[in-house]
Amino acid sequence: MTTHPVEQVGASPADDPPLSARVLVGVLLVLLVGAGIGVEAWPLTGWRLFSAERDDTQTQYVLEAVGADGSTRRVHLDELPGRPYSNAEWAMAELPDAPDTRREAVCQALLEPVIEVEPGLAELRIARDDARLVESDGAWTVVDDLETVHVCRPADGGGPEQAP
Amino acid sequence: MSRLRRWADDVLWGPETAARLVIVHVGLSALIGLRIVRYPYWELADTPAALFDPVAVLGWLDRMPPAEVIVAVQVVGVLAALAAALRRRPRLAFAIAWVCYLVLAGLRGSRGKVLHNDLLLLWASAPFLLAPAVTDLRDLVARRRYGWPVRSATVIVALIYLIAGLHKLWRSGPDWVIGENMRYIMLWGPSIGEPQWPELTTWVGENLWAAQLSAAFILGVELSFPVVLFVRRLKGLYALAAVFLHTMTWLVLGLDYWAWSVTVLLLLVDWPAVVERARSTWLVRGRRAPTAAPP
Repeated sequence: MTTHPVEQVGASPADDPPLSARVLVGVLLVLLVGAGIGVEAWPLTGWRLFSAERDDTQTQYVLEAVGADGSTRRVHLDELPGRPYSNAEWAMAELPDAPDTRREAVCQALLEPVIEVEPGLAELRIARDDARLVESDGAWTVVDDLETVHVCRPADGGGPEQAP
Repeated sequence: MSRLRRWADDVLWGPETAARLVIVHVGLSALIGLRIVRYPYWELADTPAALFDPVAVLGWLDRMPPAEVIVAVQVVGVLAALAAALRRRPRLAFAIAWVCYLVLAGLRGSRGKVLHNDLLLLWASAPFLLAPAVTDLRDLVARRRYGWPVRSATVIVALIYLIAGLHKLWRSGPDWVIGENMRYIMLWGPSIGEPQWPELTTWVGENLWAAQLSAAFILGVELSFPVVLFVRRLKGLYALAAVFLHTMTWLVLGLDYWAWSVTVLLLLVDWPAVVERARSTWLVRGRRAPTAAPP
């Protein structure tokens, strides 16, 4: 027994979707499948959601604030004010292969918000962290392995400084 | 016409009722409006030029637009989405809302990382740019001219889930499920944001069987999603599976995929039929109910 009083009509030329609809859907499907092969040109995308297998190592790019007394503290991007900085790790990840001017520009762009959360900042380090997850007595901890990529200082702190 | 061609023709261009088309169109308009209004896009205006990496569709920009421009796009987008939801010049209003949403979501994604949060809704909504502006909801006949936007959007959604699943297989192979992959996704946590239920995230990470079961569920749903194009009665089940998947993703990783859930619910569930069925059931029960106590 059907409870939905819907009639269906057979296909008739007058009832057909217009040509413009067929062209639009055709183009969308070609773009969707074409991009799905691996193109990244947003909104075209490969839909690679979590597709890379994860293991106990992970390379990440981090910020280290260095105080005037030489003390260091990891500054998480989530701590920085507003939305502009939450995805800055992707810009930082390109720095190892980037020219000095680009490294300094990214570092300076992050310096200002870091000073807001670390007012005594003497220098900012952008570091590559080849981190590893280690299990010990049932608890998982992250072991960091930091390598400085670039160092910058507030405006009166001099020019850009290369990582050793 | 060959059987395959008939099937493809029905899947892409098959008939639906005017009511179904209007409900999906209104729902997508409201969803686009909500996505535009709920995110503080204007905060993106402070993005330094050095951290601005425009997505392809906004490649002509060299920096984030000022907050005033972003707010203006939001206001126009919300008003257009509202107009489309209220069926005022629905085709034009929907197109304006869709373009505003495309720009805003593009700005959000112009900070280096490819973001997918808004893409399913954008892609699934695209066929509705040419959807007919139905005025006669009393037309109960399922017609192809009403059906094609809903049908083709469903195909797009099914393909998106399938492609996402295939990429997991291509890049990682079966180890995506049977290895320790999901355990480490949980233990590392999200690169942006916080889990909503961190205890569950840790529990899944520490119990390999739970991690593998989760991975099997995700990959299974994604790879088999096109089944809804062959077996219509499974659409409701897959809609629920998608809602469960994205809700769990939000709980354990804090990732905002609720627009995916709502889009899938709108497209895969025949809401007018559900309402009609519920009404009929209610009427039948009402007739069977005793009207007076026995003497």
